Amino acid sequence: MIPSAQLDLLAALGYAVFERSGAGLFDLLGASPAWLPPGPLTEVFPFLEVFLLDAEEFWETSSDHSKLVSDYWTQTDARGAHGEDMHFCAIAVAGFRKLLLIERTRHRFEQTQAFVQYAHQTKMAHDEIARLSRELERATQAKSEFLARMSHEIRTPMNALLGVAELLSETPLNKEQSEYVRIFRRAGDNLLNVINDILDFSKIEAGQVELECIAFDLAGVIQGAIEITGIRSRAKGLCLNSEIRADVPARLMGDPGRLRQILLNLLSNAVKFTDRGGITLRVEPDPGRLEPGALHFSVRDTGIGIPADRVSTIFESFTQADVSTTRKYGGTGLGLAISKRFVELMGGRIWAESPPGEGSTMHFTARFDIAGPAPASEHPASKSPASAPLGNRALRILLADDSEDNRFLVRGYLKDTSCILDEVENGEEVLEAFRKGIYDIVLTDAEMPVMDGYTATRAMRAWEQERGRRPTPILALTAHALKEARDRSIAAGCTDHLTKPITKTALLEALSLYAPEHPPSERIHVAVESWLKPVIPAYLKKRKADVAQLRLALEQGDFAAVRTLGHQLAGSGSGYGFAQITEIGATLEESALAADAVRIRQEIDTLDLFLNNVVAE
Amino acid sequence: MLKKKICMVGQFGVGKTSLVRRFVSSIFDDRYLTTIGVKIDRKDVSIDGKSLTLMLWDLAGEDDLAELNVAHLRGASGYVLVADGCRACTLDKAAELQQRITRMLGPLPFVLVVNKADLRDQWEVQFQQVAQYGWPTFETSAKAGSGVEEMFLGLGAALLRAHPASEVREP
Repeated sequence: MIPSAQLDLLAALGYAVFERSGAGLFDLLGASPAWLPPGPLTEVFPFLEVFLLDAEEFWETSSDHSKLVSDYWTQTDARGAHGEDMHFCAIAVAGFRKLLLIERTRHRFEQTQAFVQYAHQTKMAHDEIARLSRELERATQAKSEFLARMSHEIRTPMNALLGVAELLSETPLNKEQSEYVRIFRRAGDNLLNVINDILDFSKIEAGQVELECIAFDLAGVIQGAIEITGIRSRAKGLCLNSEIRADVPARLMGDPGRLRQILLNLLSNAVKFTDRGGITLRVEPDPGRLEPGALHFSVRDTGIGIPADRVSTIFESFTQADVSTTRKYGGTGLGLAISKRFVELMGGRIWAESPPGEGSTMHFTARFDIAGPAPASEHPASKSPASAPLGNRALRILLADDSEDNRFLVRGYLKDTSCILDEVENGEEVLEAFRKGIYDIVLTDAEMPVMDGYTATRAMRAWEQERGRRPTPILALTAHALKEARDRSIAAGCTDHLTKPITKTALLEALSLYAPEHPPSERIHVAVESWLKPVIPAYLKKRKADVAQLRLALEQGDFAAVRTLGHQLAGSGSGYGFAQITEIGATLEESALAADAVRIRQEIDTLDLFLNNVVAE
Repeated sequence: MLKKKICMVGQFGVGKTSLVRRFVSSIFDDRYLTTIGVKIDRKDVSIDGKSLTLMLWDLAGEDDLAELNVAHLRGASGYVLVADGCRACTLDKAAELQQRITRMLGPLPFVLVVNKADLRDQWEVQFQQVAQYGWPTFETSAKAGSGVEEMFLGLGAALLRAHPASEVREP
């Protein structure tokens, strides 16, 4: 027997004490606590159905005075004197007698609950922050995608607008018309700058900007920025100077493109806000940081200056010194914010000084690594666009673009060259044409119906590989301006990525840069009957003579001679196994009848190319 | 009267207690009060003309401090796996618990509940994520009451079909 004093103590502590008298049978020892509902234990406390399974096993196996404690349980149908939930805990005690203690617990339960609740709420708040952060990331991503899409949609028609304006400026115009075209082009360029700024800024905001780390000549970057800004500063009658201190390293490692962008931004702002005097760009070692590659750049002007209360805010997004500034001088107000972020990415800072009446000076610092001297290969001679102009090279170019306007533009850009342009409207067509194996260069848009440019490029590369052919330069010509788009083009197998809108100069430079230096060495294999093989070389040699004759006839405008030669080619080609010669001959004949000199020239070039590359097997 | 034990399981804070409270008392309280141990409710319902007592065992949500005590599911006729639509990790937790319960107790009828439908615009859980499991699923809002009764009665009906005459299963 448990002494009644001990039972009283347990009751005072909130326990009901039962003794297990048989399987599922329990006798209450001592008085029944007020909170204990009447009835069989497992009906009153369904929780015990589970706990007693463990308790029975515990009583069977434990012989000492250890105890088995249950989890807390709360029963909402058993309520306290004030209608509150009641919480319980059961304890099985082993030993000479098998005891089951049920405790109505309150303080311990509440303490545990407070502790766990604190942990849960902290975790949930953390999860909520993480969720909001993911949501923000998604929203930023969506915004970037939207901007990229809008940029693409704006650039596509801009390509036609600016390109046609360029073509128009090359036609005979009177003074008034020239002025209109000039304004047209300048407005287009400005619009393009705005789009580029917005794209840059959205990328910075989304944390997607990564700086390059390549070796470059600092003087070259400075020179380039000065040359570009020089056009406008000269027009305004301003002096524009640059000074690089002798102890500044000549060759650096970093991102020359972004550095140039910062300099251009500061210089063009200086030109914009200065009406008389001059602008000086100065580079010196950063006095605040004694490292060889730490530099301090400053752009000083004699312009209108910046009000003292705005000096510190001009680097914030969409901020110019005055709202009226935007109206008077234009600009998105993003240029300085973009420059600030680039400078920070370069490990520096940017600030402005503007003592009243003394113009303003924009300063920035940046850290670069020092690069070794330029290897000889960094001074390309043969591949430089300037030293290898397109000249009269009769490149055979395949253009794929679904926009008639953009095809018109490329046609216009090439009209004064000797290039032969074939046009197709989608990826499937470009692939089909490419398989003829006669093109020196392919220009392809990215987004086209039926098959996009990326898929087509991959297929063209695969076709070349299967045949062991040398890769043809494939240039993506798209309105996608972001670096990812460029990466995507290159990953698909493009040789380079040109961005619309493209100027005539840029297109011709790219063609000149990537055109194979020699006529395409890819051989065109044609199967001929074995008995014909001995006569083939003589036949082809005569056709080469035909090419010379055709060119002469065309020069003299002798379409009758072209027609006769064409007819002969058409008649003989297939007989020797060269269906293509027959096809070219027939086209020449037709074109001569129509007196279509352009087409005749194209066909003669095609014939020339074919004869240079054909191999009879 | 037939009795069926149904357990509520899931990560903490997904709304298990609120779902039971909404079903049993038609009450929703915005304050979060974490469940310690087990909270037991009962609700008498009538399904297809049959009276049934649902014994609802609301088990403390699993967290980093304490694992779900699967032993509490012994004797259950079925269970409700609860996830919070606003927290994708709670769906992963639900899937993990389902595996653990099946491993320890064998297959038991259950339904998946994605709760907090009143915050639908903030949901991280996507339809495809839920659909991949191919489980009977309910979208509920303990706050607004939507889907709650349908879910409990739906599970109750499924349990009746599975064991038409049985009392609460003997542990």
